[in-house]
Amino acid sequence: MDTLRAVMTPMDQVTIRQIIYRILMVSLVAVVVGTAASLAAIGFVDAIQWLNDRLLISPYARIQAEDRHWLVVAATIAVPAVGGLLVGLIVRWLIKEGRGLAPPDAILAVQTRRKAPTIRSGLASTLASLVSLGSGASVGQYGPLVYLGTLFGTMVGRLRLRLPHQRSIAIGCGVAAAISTAFNAPIAGLVFAHEVILRHYSLRAFAPVTVAAATGYVIANVIFERPPLFRVQFGGVEHSYEFLFFALEGVICAGLAWVFMRLLSLSGKLAARTPVPVWLKPAVAGLVLGLVALQVPEVLGIGQETLRFAIIEDAFAIHELALIIVAKLALTALCVGFGFVGGVFSPALLVGILFGAFYGLIVPFVAPFPHSGVVVYAICGMMALASSVIGAPLTTILIVFELTRSYDLTIAAMVAVVFSNLVSYRAVGRSLFDVQLKARGFDLSLGRDRAILQNHRVVHYLHADYTTARAGESVGAVRHTLVANGRAEAVLVDQSDVYQGMVHLQDLVEADPEAPVESIAHATGVVFHEDTSVWESMEMLRGFLGEAVPLLDRQSRVLGVVPEEAVIRAYLEIIHELRREENEAA
Amino acid sequence: MRIWKSFMNFGGKKMKRREVLLSLLMLLACTGSGTAEEGPEPLTVVTWGGAYEASQRAAYFEPFTEKTGIPVRAVQFDGSLASLRRHLAAGPPVEWDVIDLIRSDAQAGCREKLLEPIDPNLLEPAPDGTPARDDFMDDTITRCAITQLVFSTVIAYNEKAFPGRKPRSIKDFFDLEAFPGKRALRKAPVGLFEWALMSYGVPREQLYDLLSTERGFTLAFRRLNGIRDQLVWWTGGQEPVDMLVSGEVAMASGYNGRFFHARAVEGEPISVIWDGQLLGFNSWAIPMGTDQPDAAREFIRFATQTERMADQSSRISYGPTRKSAQAHLGLHKDTGVPMRPHMPTAPDHLTSAIHRDHAWYARTQALRERLFRRWLESSEATPSQP
Repeated sequence: MDTLRAVMTPMDQVTIRQIIYRILMVSLVAVVVGTAASLAAIGFVDAIQWLNDRLLISPYARIQAEDRHWLVVAATIAVPAVGGLLVGLIVRWLIKEGRGLAPPDAILAVQTRRKAPTIRSGLASTLASLVSLGSGASVGQYGPLVYLGTLFGTMVGRLRLRLPHQRSIAIGCGVAAAISTAFNAPIAGLVFAHEVILRHYSLRAFAPVTVAAATGYVIANVIFERPPLFRVQFGGVEHSYEFLFFALEGVICAGLAWVFMRLLSLSGKLAARTPVPVWLKPAVAGLVLGLVALQVPEVLGIGQETLRFAIIEDAFAIHELALIIVAKLALTALCVGFGFVGGVFSPALLVGILFGAFYGLIVPFVAPFPHSGVVVYAICGMMALASSVIGAPLTTILIVFELTRSYDLTIAAMVAVVFSNLVSYRAVGRSLFDVQLKARGFDLSLGRDRAILQNHRVVHYLHADYTTARAGESVGAVRHTLVANGRAEAVLVDQSDVYQGMVHLQDLVEADPEAPVESIAHATGVVFHEDTSVWESMEMLRGFLGEAVPLLDRQSRVLGVVPEEAVIRAYLEIIHELRREENEAA
Repeated sequence: MRIWKSFMNFGGKKMKRREVLLSLLMLLACTGSGTAEEGPEPLTVVTWGGAYEASQRAAYFEPFTEKTGIPVRAVQFDGSLASLRRHLAAGPPVEWDVIDLIRSDAQAGCREKLLEPIDPNLLEPAPDGTPARDDFMDDTITRCAITQLVFSTVIAYNEKAFPGRKPRSIKDFFDLEAFPGKRALRKAPVGLFEWALMSYGVPREQLYDLLSTERGFTLAFRRLNGIRDQLVWWTGGQEPVDMLVSGEVAMASGYNGRFFHARAVEGEPISVIWDGQLLGFNSWAIPMGTDQPDAAREFIRFATQTERMADQSSRISYGPTRKSAQAHLGLHKDTGVPMRPHMPTAPDHLTSAIHRDHAWYARTQALRERLFRRWLESSEATPSQP
């Protein structure tokens, strides 16, 4: 017993000290990242408002310049175009990736161990989104805010704090705090970070992310006393059959989400075909936006006013709603596709709420039953569409709850949201982010395990010590080398190191010692390349009999071999790491 | 000091010239200013009449005259900047020396160069020595005007008109079914748009954003059209009180201090709906080119003293903008009614109060007037109007 205690005690002390260190440090990270992200989010949102007012984008500023009509007209056309030009130049010269950074980059940084975009790129992307939104582009502000949170997470993730999964957790904290502050909705911020970014729930991540979300809430509410984002008065759902209408609305919204995502991708393709320098493309979109805005001013910017009007019964006629929905969808696709930097969530909210109001107005014609008014349909539409686009049903349900504090509205929206997600998941995939990531070769649709395995390259497990057989060598000589090295197979290469096949010891034993070795080589067989993922290598190893697989570069030259054992080890390591991450306590 | 007052009250008619001179001399001995030969020229203060002016007379005008010997001549105006513009356009001499303006008008007037700049150093510190800049509420000391009180435009109703359920919210003002009866509104594009939008459930912090759009105004006018047949217009601040008292209308917009006076002092059955109260601020300003700039400044210095401002707020339920004066709020001078619950700034009343956006008001003046006039003309043209 004494021996045992002597062994146990120092170990326990270290562990307890480590645990205390981790808890304190993780809390500190959460508060620091949460505070920074929250303050930055407030600054970002205020800066957009300030720019909108100065640049005559907001109705509030436009009406005050109402006596100078031509000034307003000029600003409407020129501001988005010039803003687009600036955005184009910032993206061209300051962002290494050559595009705005967005939530998919955050997801990628958390899900893979690969390098996150640089701080400089992140700051430049934030600046580009600020200019985009400030000059009235029809893009969203929450995507950039999520990236802003990611940026602070990345910064803290780089510090040498010796915390497990430090970067993922710090990014989760930044994102949660940014969303918590921007929507004034801490629970939604917390859930968003898990549902969209981290994609798993472990106490180790949950605890600090919760602290960060609460920090964001405290800063927004207690310190800055920001007003609630969207106060809604709602008397309650009056008829039970209306839940059917909500479900149907959700299904239609899934269709609309599909249209929206199709338009975004088409616009991207159209932009690629447009014979204009990349840096000039946002300016083209800005010009078109400005011209349309002369007729339909609702397309400019985030559209807080339109969002509110949509829940007022008589604010829009049916045809006005249809016009604004179409214009907003088209121009958002144009702005995003042509390179303005910004998100899609705010436009999705706006289109969704307008569609919801539209649906609320036409339902009485289709089904002549009394209903509870346009408010609940508008909110359902808003959340159903937006949740399908960002693939975050839980988050959007919670946003409704936290913004409206209305149980009735939340339950109605919940029904619409799940039906929308059920359909859109099948039709387009979990979210726009996942679709974009898939286009970049990171497919989350088959689960996080597979996406990570597909993204982890087997080249990391390359072994340099293997036996080479050169074309022209005799079977006897190769047999001799193999025996000396204690190996059962050799990689056959020609004079310029190009892979020719494998030579197995059992074949050498039988063959004529004087014969050239290539006569008994197996020319076919499994080979890996530099970009072969662990997932692919597992697939390729099905039915493989051998010790190791050669890994070739683009010119088919042999870089080394990956032993079968290493592939299995890679697989186990990744899966084990994921499971550990998901099940960790503090 | 009584002497001057009696001189003012009875005028020269009843007093012999020698007596007048004597009293003047005595007065000058007291104050030590001016010349013996001719009495100081009266200072013309332009203000709003009624119970409000009465409170100003007691709290400011009379004590000012007592202290300085400068008589104050109060002139009533309709509260509009247009009146000031007309007066200045009539050419020198500019008779108006001090004017009591709504803050947004004072800002617009400052930009239009209708007002003299005021040196903030003329303001006296609080009795405890706190500098004026720290004692006044934020944004009350501006280039051409000193904001001195918080008033509120509210909806009030005659209790006799609604013996059962009482109206409680702005929505009720537009609800003719539940609360039938005539409504009186000020014939000016002020407040009614905000209330109309608020009745749709628009939260107060978004009112001016929505009113910045054509759609916002369309909605507001649609609401107003709903009660158009029952609308009566007023222009002077005392009219809505009289209309309510006489039973001519069931509900009316008006200034909270006047409704307070009618109820607390005169015992009329008038109740205020605090929901959607439109907070406003009054400012002292000096018309450009006045012939008595020094006396005007002296008056503003005097009228913004803590003690004077507290004195006014014990006469009428308007809140002083000096923190040191707010601390003095007590009972009504004549009736002993506690003043705090009747102030626009009472915490309960602030939860749904509309904070008037002065910058927006100042810059949309012309537009609001144009839209309002156009709507009035269109509504007058309709046959439904009696």
